[in-house]
Order: sequence, then C-alpha cells, then structure tokens
Amino acid sequence: MNDKTRKELIWIAGVLVVLIGAAIGNVIYISMHNDNLAQNVDAHPTYPSNATIIRVDATQWSWAFIYANGTESVDTFNVTVGKPVVLVVTSIKGAEQFAVIHDLSIPKLDVQLYAIPGQNNSLSFTPTVVGSYYFECVEYCGLDHYEMRGMMNVVA
Amino acid sequence: MFSFGSLFSLASIGLTGTNLNLLYISIILGIIGIVLFYFYFRIVPAKEYLHEEAEAAGYERSNEYVRDKLSDKPRELSWKIFLYDDSKSIGLRYIFTSILFLCIAGSFGVLMRVSLTEPSPTIIGPAQYNVLMTEHATLMIYMFVLGAALGLGFYLLPSHLKLKKDTMGVYTSFAYWIWLAGGLFILISRAALRWYFYPPLSLELTQVGGGEFAWLAVLGLELIFIGLMVASVSIIKIIAFDRSPDIKLNQMSLFTWSILFTVIMGVTSAPPLMVGLGMLFYDYFNPIFFITGTNTLLFTILFWFWGHPIVYMAVIPFFGIIYEILPKFTGSKVYSYNSGVWGLGLLLILSELVWGHHLLNSGLGIEWITFFTTMSFLVVIPSAITVFNFIATLWTAKSIRMTVPMLFVLNGIVDFIIGGITGVMQSFAPFNEQVHGTYWVTGHFHFIFIGITMGISFAAFYMLFPTFTGGRKYNVSLARWHFGLTALGSYIMAFAWSVGGFLGMPRAVAGYFGFFQGYQDASIIGGVIIGIAQVIFLYNIAVSWLKAPSTSTDNAFEQGNTGPTDSHSAELNKVPAVSGGK
Repeated sequence: MNDKTRKELIWIAGVLVVLIGAAIGNVIYISMHNDNLAQNVDAHPTYPSNATIIRVDATQWSWAFIYANGTESVDTFNVTVGKPVVLVVTSIKGAEQFAVIHDLSIPKLDVQLYAIPGQNNSLSFTPTVVGSYYFECVEYCGLDHYEMRGMMNVVA
Repeated sequence: MFSFGSLFSLASIGLTGTNLNLLYISIILGIIGIVLFYFYFRIVPAKEYLHEEAEAAGYERSNEYVRDKLSDKPRELSWKIFLYDDSKSIGLRYIFTSILFLCIAGSFGVLMRVSLTEPSPTIIGPAQYNVLMTEHATLMIYMFVLGAALGLGFYLLPSHLKLKKDTMGVYTSFAYWIWLAGGLFILISRAALRWYFYPPLSLELTQVGGGEFAWLAVLGLELIFIGLMVASVSIIKIIAFDRSPDIKLNQMSLFTWSILFTVIMGVTSAPPLMVGLGMLFYDYFNPIFFITGTNTLLFTILFWFWGHPIVYMAVIPFFGIIYEILPKFTGSKVYSYNSGVWGLGLLLILSELVWGHHLLNSGLGIEWITFFTTMSFLVVIPSAITVFNFIATLWTAKSIRMTVPMLFVLNGIVDFIIGGITGVMQSFAPFNEQVHGTYWVTGHFHFIFIGITMGISFAAFYMLFPTFTGGRKYNVSLARWHFGLTALGSYIMAFAWSVGGFLGMPRAVAGYFGFFQGYQDASIIGGVIIGIAQVIFLYNIAVSWLKAPSTSTDNAFEQGNTGPTDSHSAELNKVPAVSGGK
C-alpha cells in the first residue's frame, strides 16, 4: 500500500466514523421518541393516557381543530401548558373542492405531520412554555395555500 | 349499430365538459404530433442533406462520412445542427435549448422573488405565483438540468470515446424533439401543481386547484420521460458499443463515467413515475387510482422513487465536468482516478435508496423513517469521497490558474460543501420534522443547483465557447462579473432562505407571516443580483459572437483530460491558457 492509497483510506475511514456515528444517534432518537413522529393511526401508536386528543381536519384552505367535547375552532386552537397533546390529522373535502394533501407544521415545537385524504396521521407533543406559536401548511395545496396558517396558544 | 356520431357522443358514458374537451384536445395534439414527426423524418430532407454532403466529400455512405468528418470533431453553432442527426449536432441542440429554458425558468424565478416584497401578494397574485413556481421548478429540472447533462454528454462523448460508429442519430433526434415538445406543453399548460404533481390536487382541474390545463403538464412530463429514455439508451449504446476499441473501460474519461451513471439512473428510476403519470392521466377520465383516498400516498411514493434520483442526475454529470476542468488549470492529473469512478458509482447506487426521506412525516411507519434517514447519512460517503478528490487535486497542484471556468469550479465545490452539510442535517428525523417544507430545503438545494448544476454548466460553456463560435473569445472581465455576481447573489439568497427556513418560513407560498419579511427581502436582493448577472452573461455572448474569430477551435476539454492515455489532450494542456477561451 503506497502513501497515496493510505491517505485516501484514512479520509474515507474518517468520513465513515462521523456519518455512522450520526446515523446511530438518529436511530437512537427515533427509537426513544416514537410518539413525536408522524404515524398512521392504523399502526396503533401509543400515547400518554392523560393526553388531550385534538382532531384536525384540513380543507382547502383552513384548519379545523375539534376537541373531544365537540368544540371546534378554525385556524387557531388552545392547548394547556405541560399537558401532552395528541393531534389526529386528516384531509377532508370542502364545498365544491377536493380533499388534497396538506401538511401541518408547528416549526417551533418540532411538530409536523401530513394531512392525507382517507388516512389519519397522529403524533403527540407536550408544550412547555406559555405563548403563541405559529403553525402553517407546508405542502402546496392550491390557490390559497399561503393563507392556510394560524396561531396556537399555549395557556396556563 | 356503430355510427360515426356515436363515437363523439361520449357524454353517454359519463365524459362531459372539461373531460370531453380534454379528450378532443389530446387527440388533436396527438394527430398534429404524429404528422409533424412524419414530416420531420420523411419529408424534411435531413437525411438527403447529409447524404449530399457525404457525396460531395466522396463518401458513398453518410454513416462513414459522419464518422470521419463529423463524429469527434469540434462543431460550431449553426442551423445545420437541426439537419444533421449525429451526436455532436444533437448535443448542441440540447445545450442551446437548455440555455433558452434556463433563461425562461430563471426569469420566472426572479419574478417570484420580486412578487414577495410584501407579506401579502401585491404585484403578482397567488394564482400567477403558483404557476410561476410550478414552471420555474419543472422547467429548470426537466429542461435545463436534463438538457445540459444530456447535451454535454452527446457533445463530448464522441471525442472522449473516439467514436467509430454513430448510428443512433435518428432515435436521438426523436428524443430531442419529443423532449422539447414536452417542455413546451408544460410551458403552455399554466399548471399550478408544484413539480411534485401530487394528486388529488393535480386532478382538480380548476383555477383554484392544479390549473385548468394541468393535464397538459402531465402529458408533457410523460413526453419528456419518453425523450429521456430514448436518449439514455442511445448514450448507453454509444458508451458500451460504439467507443473506439483502443479505449478500455478503465481508460474512459471521468466525464464519460459520470454520464454513464447518470443515464443508468434515468432508465432505472423513471419507469415507476411514467406508469404513475399514466395512471394519473387515466384518472382524469375515470378516477379509480388516486382520488378515492386509500392510495393517495401511492403516487407520492412513485414520484419520489424518481424525484430523488433526478436531483442526483443534476449533480453527477457536473462532477464529471469538474474532473475534466481541474487538470487543465492545475497542470496535474486528477488525484485519484479510481476514487473518482467509485465515488460516482457509489453515489448512483446509494442515491437510489434514499428517496423515502421526502415522505418522512407522511405516516408511513417508524421502520420507513429509520431506514431512509440512515441511508441518507450513508449517501454522503461517496459525495465526500468525490469532494475530497477535488480538494486533493487542488492541494497537490503545482499552480492553479484562476480562469473563469476555474472560478466557477472552486465556487461550485464550496457551494456543494455548504449545500451538502445543510442537506445531511435534514437526515436527523427530529430536524427533518422541523425544516421539512420550509425554505431551509430551498436554500439547501439552491446552494447545490446554482453552485454545481448552473455554475459548472457555465464553466463548461465558457470552456467550449471558442468551439461553439468558430474560434471567438469571450470577454474575460464581463465573464468575471458574471461569475462574481452569480456567486454573490446565490450566497445572499440561499443563506437568507436557510436562516428563515430554520425558523419555519414555509416554501412554495405566495404570501407569508410579516415577521419573515427580512429574510424574504434579503433573498429578493440576492435573486435580482443573480438575474442581473445572467443579463451580463447573455450580453457577453452576444458581443463576443459578433467579433472576428481569433483562436483555434481545438479544445483540450473536448478531447478529454482524464483519460489516462490521451496524449493528444496532454499536448493541448501544455499550451498556455488563452485569455477568454479554452
């Protein structure tokens, strides 16, 4: 093995160590935080038993948040600080329109899940700081896609 | 009883309104297309023209004439390229068409930027914005990127491989025309689908959905794929069977390898989406595949099986070009030929296994997320090998000449490192959850597309400029301004996007929350600077072309710098660089 080949192999080994290390870290995170990643409800993901379950219906172009007691709010919703929240998201047909693919994202809380017609996706998160957080649709869904956004309030 | 009238009363089987018009227009377009192709291949005298030229030069067969007089010789831009059906002429067609579409799609991009000066749409309404967004992305990917990659392939391969035959010309010509027709279909469709074409949105044929003529874009994309398939098979045939027997596999230039890997990627990953588009088009008449809900995600899966490899097809050939340019201006060989080939080859294999990372938040399962995030880390290995190979070549060089193509290459390497790191960060599942669908992603791939795809295309264009123009030189100081402003604009734009996207600024929107305005305004400045730079580029081409020829058309870049035994190019490389060319 000449000097040149040795240098090349050292570089490749270095890259391998960094990347495989990062990949292992990522797998460990996924296995520990299953409930924070978007999953199909049909796969029966497990969530904290005291969680507030909020059903989210996406239409062209608004978000409807429906609580277990039947109260509904559009493009805004309230959650309680420190209490786990489970979002169950799907896409439904508006008047004269199609049920298309949307994507609910709350960037500052690391929450993102696709709203897919005929499929319920869910994840859970726990807000820890009181305040307002913006959420938005991040999958292009037609004319007024950009207006499909709002504020989530974390209240005490 | 069958009557001609009943053929057209399709309303009885549920086809009405838009669907019926759609069917009629498709049939008419199909017939016009067939007639045009008939004229082009039978009545338009391409073959006769070539045959006459061959006879005048004393050849009985035009194939032999192409081989001896045309195949690996430099070619300049003239109307003859539309009449000759040899690889080099078709390469020129692809290259100049891709530049045309770069200008069209680029101006759409600048318009999009300018329309975002205010948080609410002002100059351009959301309907127009969505069309511009779709056309910018689709035309850039399918017309500019594929055009530049295939064009440089068809143009450079005959000389790199010292072609002994050139017999697929008619098919390749067909591929070019059908690719161009597809691009024009997309251009006139005014579709607002984003380049994803996700149903059910693409099935919503209204102003508020995918656009009334979205189906035309679906047809156009299918045509582009047919063109890509034919061209890819033609290139594989050129490399595998037509190259000179003197050139063994391990003596092929690195650019040849990169193009080979690119077209293999094309033929292996496009077919699922071609089928998907066929199903999508069928859904316009009889919605059974994607509109019923249970398998909406199927199209996204078929799409990304192609959608990820295409973005690697946008860098691999340009890595090959970098390998060809480096020896010319560093005066030394590429550091490791083997690492170059293996790096690009591994990139081909691994990049076909990461496409699922575009669907991480779609609820496809924890196993899906685990597999595709892990593969996304591993795909960096061959990219890193390639970049280290570039850096090692520069490191061990005795001297580096800072010509315009070399500036583009160096900037491209830096851009790729930045874009690569911001890209691999998204492989972390939690980070992906935060930035997926935001401008972070836009910033990531614009670093790479502007630095590598567009920048290296410009580098190759400047290298070949004297050849294209029959020995004219470009204005070096204008070219340096072009480089400098493109680089500056792209850094400002992509950096502003990356920071904004990190905070959650969503992409593909015609309006935004007011608190993102700073990032949007910064990116507008960057985008406009890039636009001005391209105007300088076009002006430079125009004025330089009007001057008298002052240099030879012989070109080391065209002959291949990385083929180990290529003595001809080794001699050419010793010639000092002429200012403004080669």
